[in-house]
Amino acid sequence: MRNSSRFSGADTAGLGRGPLTRRLPVLLLAPAEPLDARPFGSGPGITPGRFLLRVIFSVRRVSVPAMLLAIVWQVGESAVPVVMGLAIDRALATGDEGQLVLWLGVLVALYVALTSTARLSLRLTAYAVQVLQHRLRGTLSTGVLHSVGGTARAPDGSVVSVMTNDVARLSNAVILMIIPVSRITAIGFIAASLLATHWLLGLVVLFGAPVAVWSMGVLSERLSRDTREYQELLASTVGQATDLVAGYRVIKGVRAEAEATSRYRQASQETLVGARRNAGLLGRFLVGSGVVSGTFVAAVMGLAGWFAVDGQLSIGELITAVGLTQALLPQIQAIASTSIPNLAGARASSARVLDVLRDNATSTAEPDDATRREVTALPELDVVVPSISGPGVTIRVEPGELVGVRADDRTAARVVEALLDPRAEGGVEARLDGIAARELSPVEYRSRVTVAPHRATLFSGTLRDNVAVIAGAPERVDAAVRAAACDDFAADLDVPVGEGGNRLSGGQRQRVALARALASDAPVLVLHDPTTAVDSVTEHTIASRLRGVRAGRSTLLIASTPALLAACDRVVELPDDVPAPSRTAR
Amino acid sequence: MSGTSAVPETAASDAGLPGLPVASGRETVREVWRLSHGYRLRLAATGALGIVSTGVDLIVPGAIGFLVDRVQAGTADLATVLTVTVVMALSAVLGAAGTALTIVLATRVYHSILAALREQLVGHAMTLPQHLVERAGTGDLISRSSDDVTAVADAAPAVIPVLTVTAFTIVVSLGGLAALEWPYAAAFAVVLPVYVLAVRWYLRTGPGVYRAERTAMSARAQQILESQRGYATVLGFGLTEQRHRAVMTDSWRVAGQSLRARTVLSMLNARLNLGECLSLAAVLVVGFVLIDHNASTVGGATTAMLLVLRLLGPVNQLLLVIDTLQSALASLSRMIGVVTIPFSSSDVPSQAASTAVQLDEVSFRYGEGPRVLDDITLDIPSGQRVAVVGVSGAGKTTLAGVVTGTHLPEAGKVTRPSRTAMITQEVHVFAGTLRDNLTLAAPGATDRDLHAALEATGAASILDVLPDRLDTLLGVGGHPLTDAQAQQLALARLLLTDADLVILDEATADAGSTYAGQLDRAADAVLAGRTAVVVAHRLSQAATCDRIMVMAHGRIIETGTHGELVDAGGVYAGLWTAWEAAQ
Repeated sequence: MRNSSRFSGADTAGLGRGPLTRRLPVLLLAPAEPLDARPFGSGPGITPGRFLLRVIFSVRRVSVPAMLLAIVWQVGESAVPVVMGLAIDRALATGDEGQLVLWLGVLVALYVALTSTARLSLRLTAYAVQVLQHRLRGTLSTGVLHSVGGTARAPDGSVVSVMTNDVARLSNAVILMIIPVSRITAIGFIAASLLATHWLLGLVVLFGAPVAVWSMGVLSERLSRDTREYQELLASTVGQATDLVAGYRVIKGVRAEAEATSRYRQASQETLVGARRNAGLLGRFLVGSGVVSGTFVAAVMGLAGWFAVDGQLSIGELITAVGLTQALLPQIQAIASTSIPNLAGARASSARVLDVLRDNATSTAEPDDATRREVTALPELDVVVPSISGPGVTIRVEPGELVGVRADDRTAARVVEALLDPRAEGGVEARLDGIAARELSPVEYRSRVTVAPHRATLFSGTLRDNVAVIAGAPERVDAAVRAAACDDFAADLDVPVGEGGNRLSGGQRQRVALARALASDAPVLVLHDPTTAVDSVTEHTIASRLRGVRAGRSTLLIASTPALLAACDRVVELPDDVPAPSRTAR
Repeated sequence: MSGTSAVPETAASDAGLPGLPVASGRETVREVWRLSHGYRLRLAATGALGIVSTGVDLIVPGAIGFLVDRVQAGTADLATVLTVTVVMALSAVLGAAGTALTIVLATRVYHSILAALREQLVGHAMTLPQHLVERAGTGDLISRSSDDVTAVADAAPAVIPVLTVTAFTIVVSLGGLAALEWPYAAAFAVVLPVYVLAVRWYLRTGPGVYRAERTAMSARAQQILESQRGYATVLGFGLTEQRHRAVMTDSWRVAGQSLRARTVLSMLNARLNLGECLSLAAVLVVGFVLIDHNASTVGGATTAMLLVLRLLGPVNQLLLVIDTLQSALASLSRMIGVVTIPFSSSDVPSQAASTAVQLDEVSFRYGEGPRVLDDITLDIPSGQRVAVVGVSGAGKTTLAGVVTGTHLPEAGKVTRPSRTAMITQEVHVFAGTLRDNLTLAAPGATDRDLHAALEATGAASILDVLPDRLDTLLGVGGHPLTDAQAQQLALARLLLTDADLVILDEATADAGSTYAGQLDRAADAVLAGRTAVVVAHRLSQAATCDRIMVMAHGRIIETGTHGELVDAGGVYAGLWTAWEAAQ
């Protein structure tokens, strides 16, 4: 953007404003610092509807002023035809120049009022929506994705779409408190004006408008439900394209281009059928709402025309009535086609957000202070692994020791899972200084034990961002990079690694992940098969450097490769008959 | 495929790659015209229907003006009122029905053309020579087949009414105004510069602001996605607080960009209000003068006022979708850019009828980088199995890529059989059933063939852990497979192909693990009776091959059988000693 411009009169907000207006402050832009996002409560007993209300009413300080301004705005919009009708009646019909100037003035004043309130109201509304989105995202972030006491089971991929799409839809519900309220007020204003003109006209609108809104709302709800269905179809076709292109090399490798294309065509055609059906429903909605609103307006106007013929209305009153009825239409249509689907969508998203929050609810209860015991800075680690045939095995890692563990894949995974989440009911138990890890607070446990999982996932950013993920001394980072044998490609640590590390090869990613583990300087470090994608020569180099970089710290190395195990102080063999965990049913 | 909708936008420039071409405006028009073949008559009829419907819709303000004049003249009776009411109701209903039908028809044609285009996009991308796509990066291709397709599809509800109805409404209403009394239309034209300025300002400001918003949103989605994918790492390293802060910082950045975008919108809204106010004032002034000169009636002024009020809605609509229209067009030209990539036969690597492989003084480099392969000459007779050995970065994988045609050599000549198959280090399990995953390479294979292939590659045990056996959903959102299982699956898939030449470059299992032996046996089954190049990440793989080539710095430095090379005491002998010591 143009933020780089240095002189003070620059258009800093990048809004393309001219030299006259760019010096004016822009109200209600977001402050640079992230807002403190207090999480929403989602305890048991809260229904999606109630959660929705809690969300909507949590930003009253913004939404109530926005609502009041919107009322002025919408009533102002409805008053435009009235003012025009009056102007035609008083000025045009009479030919009085003074009246013309007067009504032109009224028209301009009306527009000034409605445009300024609209502007402020729109901004306040946008602000409320963004604040809510941010807070909801924070709630999901601490509750699901980044819970310090989280379980070893990762939330599935749907959490990503819930944190983006559903959060947005749920936050949009706050608009319901602002725009529809103002529209309903405007309809009330129109009805009242008509009442003042002729009581029967007012009554017809008072009773007719809700019926029109309701019947159009029914049609639009059906449409928006189908639209969501169609959008899911589209998303799955798009997802399939993404999946095929992501597997591009595999497809090329086995020359499956034609088959892949024909599978995609099939999905695409199914989506097309959905799109055609959706268009049909859109047509039904348009016809339905056209019939409802067209006949309603014609009836009101016809009635007004009759009263005029009958002498009950003056010509000016007839024009005003016509203008008012005309102003009624957009209000009814907007409520039916926007607000009602908005409510339906928000309710569905509210349910999904609650589901994800509850599915991944973790007990954050801190242990009793009375039973609280201290764990030393460099504790002794015991991992108790049960066995069906024997007494089980206890892996003990004395402070400063490098202990290797050889186990079959399944047992190894169970041990890592227990160390990752000591509260899991997996049968394997971890103890620090003899205290069961499940009785420690998650924060205390994690300050002692760092677990580097087998799957090496990197985060976007530079090599340094990834290795020095826990702020440490620069020399530790260098030592870790060397120990993990990254020197061949990591001469410059400020090179970006790409999304998820996709600019590095599998072996390089794994070595960066190992460097990250070694740089963490954790009192107790658990490594799980850290060199599976690394060639044997490099693996040797890593094995020979491991002990030096972990000197004075405890390390538990779960691996099957002899080269790594040979570097350990001692190696524990685990039996492969660990009893199956008694998981609580989900 | 629960999470697929959240795939973030990936710009080709992110990876520093040149990206795929974008079609010019003329190419886009030409391609859309070509795609519209078979729909043209329907489109013309739809357009005619749109014009008629908007015309019918305009009877309402005319009828009201007529009624006002009759009432004022005192010549109206109940019959007049009833007639006018029925005419209004009928024209409103007919107008609405015609408009709805126009929109439905146009929407269906729009989606049919879009479906044809996205299918051609994927089909063409799949048939393009691989090196063309690799040079641009698959990220760009993903973004075009996902983000751009979605953008064009999502634009339909905004764009189609504008193209079919709104534009007509504006034209017909202006025509109606002119037919009524031309000065009314002229008054509206005087206000035009306000709108022109508003549009110019919006097109200058809006797209950049929206782009910034979308970029911030995709960065936020990426952060969330990485936390989800790296969940175990976040937990194990105690990074929860840090990742939370990163996500929240990006979340708030989106809030800032979104507020800017909404501000721009509210500024546009204010400009539209100015246009409205001036238009209505102009009607009053013109009406006043006309009536004063007996050139118009009060009813005429009422009709003019109603026509202008009707006109304002569509004008606002038109201006509000300009941005959507623009970004949909940009996406369209990005999609068409892929479909129209030409490729000539010289881009397709040469193939021989024989099942042997020949490389003749082949060199290769990535872009402007250093030479990765340097003057390689190589002859693999039919049915021979050759291992390529060397430390990381020696050029093994690149050599495999040149042999299969993934990379076009910079110099030299490559001859290979037409039916080749390759397994790369990249493991991808497709979203779909296990059967879908296997039959991808052999669409005609029966369940018996699939079982046999799984058996032969030692992957039959995978079937037992899958809840629905061959019908188990795998991939994104499906049953997770370990890397070793995915690799066994890939080997079974390879076995099902009819390839004469097989290239193996898999590196999933480390030496000594239980899986290494299994995968070595599976590979053996796959290679039986075929010409093969094996990039040996484990030396146990190399020892069983007919010939071994040792690579260093892009050159072949040793070649011979396992026994010969060990006896020779060179580089391979050293690697072998280290390898054996580690076992």
